[in-house]
Amino acid sequence: MADLADLADLADLADLGVGIGWRPEIDLTVARLPGVDWVEVVAENLHVEHLPESLVELRAKGLPVLPHAVSLSLGGADPVDPARVEHLAAVAAALDAPVVSDHVCFVRAGGLDSGHLMPIPRTRDALDVLVANVTTAQSILETPLALENIAALIEWPDAELTEGQFLAELTERTGCALIVDVANLYACARNIGLDIERFLDEIPLERIAYVHVAGGVEHDGAYHDTHAHPVLPQVLDVLARLRDRTQPPGVLLERDDDYPSDSELADELARIRAVVGR
Amino acid sequence: MTREELAARQAQLLWALLADGDPPPGFAAEDLEREAKALWAKRRRVTAMLRPDVAEELGEQYVAAFDRFARSHPKSVTTRARQDADDFAAWAIAEGLLASPPRRPWWKLKDRSSGGR
Repeated sequence: MADLADLADLADLADLGVGIGWRPEIDLTVARLPGVDWVEVVAENLHVEHLPESLVELRAKGLPVLPHAVSLSLGGADPVDPARVEHLAAVAAALDAPVVSDHVCFVRAGGLDSGHLMPIPRTRDALDVLVANVTTAQSILETPLALENIAALIEWPDAELTEGQFLAELTERTGCALIVDVANLYACARNIGLDIERFLDEIPLERIAYVHVAGGVEHDGAYHDTHAHPVLPQVLDVLARLRDRTQPPGVLLERDDDYPSDSELADELARIRAVVGR
Repeated sequence: MTREELAARQAQLLWALLADGDPPPGFAAEDLEREAKALWAKRRRVTAMLRPDVAEELGEQYVAAFDRFARSHPKSVTTRARQDADDFAAWAIAEGLLASPPRRPWWKLKDRSSGGR
């Protein structure tokens, strides 16, 4: 069942505002861009003993820096690797972060590393495994954990729950928070027929820690969540539909490659801010 | 479905996508092919970021060469991204695609890992 302490802790995020994913390639840009209220950083890319100076400076200025993990593989059948969770916990402690996160996915199985986030079956049995893994991770972490919906190109057969039902039950059973990635929602709607309205109806909106927005591209008969292209208007439309129902504590722009000019990034942040009214 | 059964299904999916294993039931072949291409492209981008010297030296051959390497060398859970990129460079030399180990310019020696997802 949901942990009341966890629920209370989410109140710390109420005014997170608009942020951007911190990457070493754009660290100077991030520091000087107008309208950056907070940043998110990929936890696996940090060494706690040697945090990048530009990140330490942002933290010193009082900007929240929230660690985001990509390798816990919490939806995987392999047991949770405690060292990976401990690293995330150490990064969170070093950054004094109020929340940490990863994804509802798996990245390792059968001795192979997929290198990217893979969907898990939306069955009750797979949910049981995910819940057990999340509970294990939470027992190591000292901060609330938020989990994010991924962009899928394939769907497992024989789903028993919708994506929204799956996440609702996950939050209820573990007390975890959610990151809603609206670009991933758009991708799943486009690629595997996810019903966005139904998703928004089914998830517990009060459990949203923050929202991700990213760019992508139509290619090879599918929408690819590249984080290397501009944000599509359709993705901002999903953000607006979410905003119609709730004011999320924070919204974050993710850009990982083919970095545009500072002014283009500032423009994307401004467009996001206009949609959420923050 | 127990944890063991889920493990087997997830393993079958990754082996099908990354190592020409038998496809798991219930997936459309074209969907699996699209996913496999996306996973190779991701790994290829990470490798190009970590060893830009190799990607530049191979030029237009890079994509085809990397995909050939990836099919025959699925990345194991114990291989780190940096090692994977170095393994590709060694493979390309062994295949005769690169004449000699390209020299990494000093300004590209710094480790750069992949971004978020």
